[in-house]
Amino acid sequence: MTAQPGVTKREGTVFDIGYQNYTGPREGRGRARISIVKNGVRTSLGFGRGALAKVLPWLFIAVLVFIAIIMALVAGAADRLIGPEDAEQLNLPSHSDFYGIASIIFFVFAAVGAPELLCPDRREGVINLYLLRPLTGSDYVFSRWLAFFLVMVAVAWLPQFILWIGLIMGDPQPVEYVLDNWLDIPKFLAAAIPLAAYTTTLALLTAAFTTRRAYAAVFLVGLFVITTPFTTGLAAEIGGTAGQWISMFNLSNIPVHVNDVIFGEPSVITRDAPAAELSSWILVGWFFLWTLGPAGVLWMRYRRLTP
Amino acid sequence: MKVLLTAVNLTKRYKDVVALDDVSFDISDGITGILGENGAGKSTAIKLFLGLIPSTSGSAKALGQDAHESIAVRAKLGYMPEHDCLPSNITAAEFLGHMAEVSGLPPPHARTRAADTLRHVGLFEERYRSMGGYSTGMKQRVKLAQALVHDPSFVFLDEPTAGLDPGGREDMLELVSKTHREFGISILFSSHLMADVERACDRIIVLQSGRLVESGEVTHFTKETETVFIEVDGNRERLVAALEQRGVAVTTDGHGLYIEGPDETVYDQVRDALVEAEAPLRRMAPRRRALAELFQHEGEDFASELSP
Repeated sequence: MTAQPGVTKREGTVFDIGYQNYTGPREGRGRARISIVKNGVRTSLGFGRGALAKVLPWLFIAVLVFIAIIMALVAGAADRLIGPEDAEQLNLPSHSDFYGIASIIFFVFAAVGAPELLCPDRREGVINLYLLRPLTGSDYVFSRWLAFFLVMVAVAWLPQFILWIGLIMGDPQPVEYVLDNWLDIPKFLAAAIPLAAYTTTLALLTAAFTTRRAYAAVFLVGLFVITTPFTTGLAAEIGGTAGQWISMFNLSNIPVHVNDVIFGEPSVITRDAPAAELSSWILVGWFFLWTLGPAGVLWMRYRRLTP
Repeated sequence: MKVLLTAVNLTKRYKDVVALDDVSFDISDGITGILGENGAGKSTAIKLFLGLIPSTSGSAKALGQDAHESIAVRAKLGYMPEHDCLPSNITAAEFLGHMAEVSGLPPPHARTRAADTLRHVGLFEERYRSMGGYSTGMKQRVKLAQALVHDPSFVFLDEPTAGLDPGGREDMLELVSKTHREFGISILFSSHLMADVERACDRIIVLQSGRLVESGEVTHFTKETETVFIEVDGNRERLVAALEQRGVAVTTDGHGLYIEGPDETVYDQVRDALVEAEAPLRRMAPRRRALAELFQHEGEDFASELSP
């Protein structure tokens, strides 16, 4: 075969340059922590994993968004059907009630999702590889906590923003609605933080004591499911101050009471709870006790972990 | 030679058990084997160098630093554990990229290093497959790759040939040699298989009950003996008969023939016997002692524990 006149023949050569030593930057412990957080967020949401790993987290997110959409639609329909003044008299659930209404979904989401960050690492031995890097057990567990906390905060905020947009769109006078209710935004942003911190801590603490994700999830869901009717019934039976304190042990209500303190009104879930009558300081202190205590135990569990 | 690991009067006690007892040694660049029966102190020594546990007394320094006091040095160390340590539901590329980041590399560099390292261990084509479906040999390669992905100066390999078939074992040993020869990474090779250590290592350290009992060049322990080893491609029985007919005492095993302490005339007789037996000669050389034999002489229990 002869080359055509005027056409330059190009020849490519593939070079095997062999092994190259790494000469780029090394960012040490800070990068290691960021990487564990990033990996934790991806794991929680199923990114970089098979389709099955995505089903559960996104199903929960879809349910939460669905609840927000329903709440917005009901509020919008009430405004149009019976008028804004009468609709306000109905005291329909809004931003202050959302976390209370959806609390069980948040707890189940945390119970199912958080163990995925700790259990497989111990069961499959990956934790040994982490602890051989420039990373301590404390770095690891704090980074995992932060990863799931960020996911929980985002998952809590998303439906609240959808509800906010839905309520504006459903209101006959959207500008007035924004001017009257803009304070709901910092409130629901702030109220998500104790909810996320509490659920993340309890779920990770449970996961720290088993290598099986299912055991952790079942234990935690069981804990919430059992304490709610038990404490509610017992508190109503006993009544008085003792009843109020028993009501405090309703684990699913603990962050909702803080939500009520932030919004300045009880939500539909805690309105009838005897504990709601206690001082805000007690309710907030109780929340800190139930969050910092388990966080300390979690930290102790991982602090001295060696491969 | 540059000294990379230094143990000085290193002692580690777990309550009443002495895991390492006043041990001192240096490990230079190259591939060093660490041998010893279960409980000899191999894993304890590795953990001390990695700074995972504090020493009771003495010091263990890696790359000039005590990793227990400054964990930053671990960014330049790698470790391949013996036991399973791979997540089953993610790809090798994603896992290695993450491990590189955890070692301190920025994400774009980490991704590049992950792909390069997987190419060097022979898993480039399989890098986007979930590791749950990998064979034992492939998993061992990923374990090695994660120890190399951040380009450490020194790597600890704990039983890298565990669970591999003979072919996979050969490949792994070749990869270990290549890691030092081509990548310039020094290695501490912990194994109970003397043949593997003999094949891959330049030097060995032998621990027994927490004490250092031997150390030195592998060639020092496997020096030539007075025995001549002969390997043929066929007609071995005829060759044995031809040699015995000439009055030469021969012993055989699965590999070949051995003639103890031959004098000069034996070589002529071997030549004639080979011709007579029509046995194609593959190899004739002074036999080197195997590490296993050395320790068989020094302690039967130790040797039986260490033999493959």
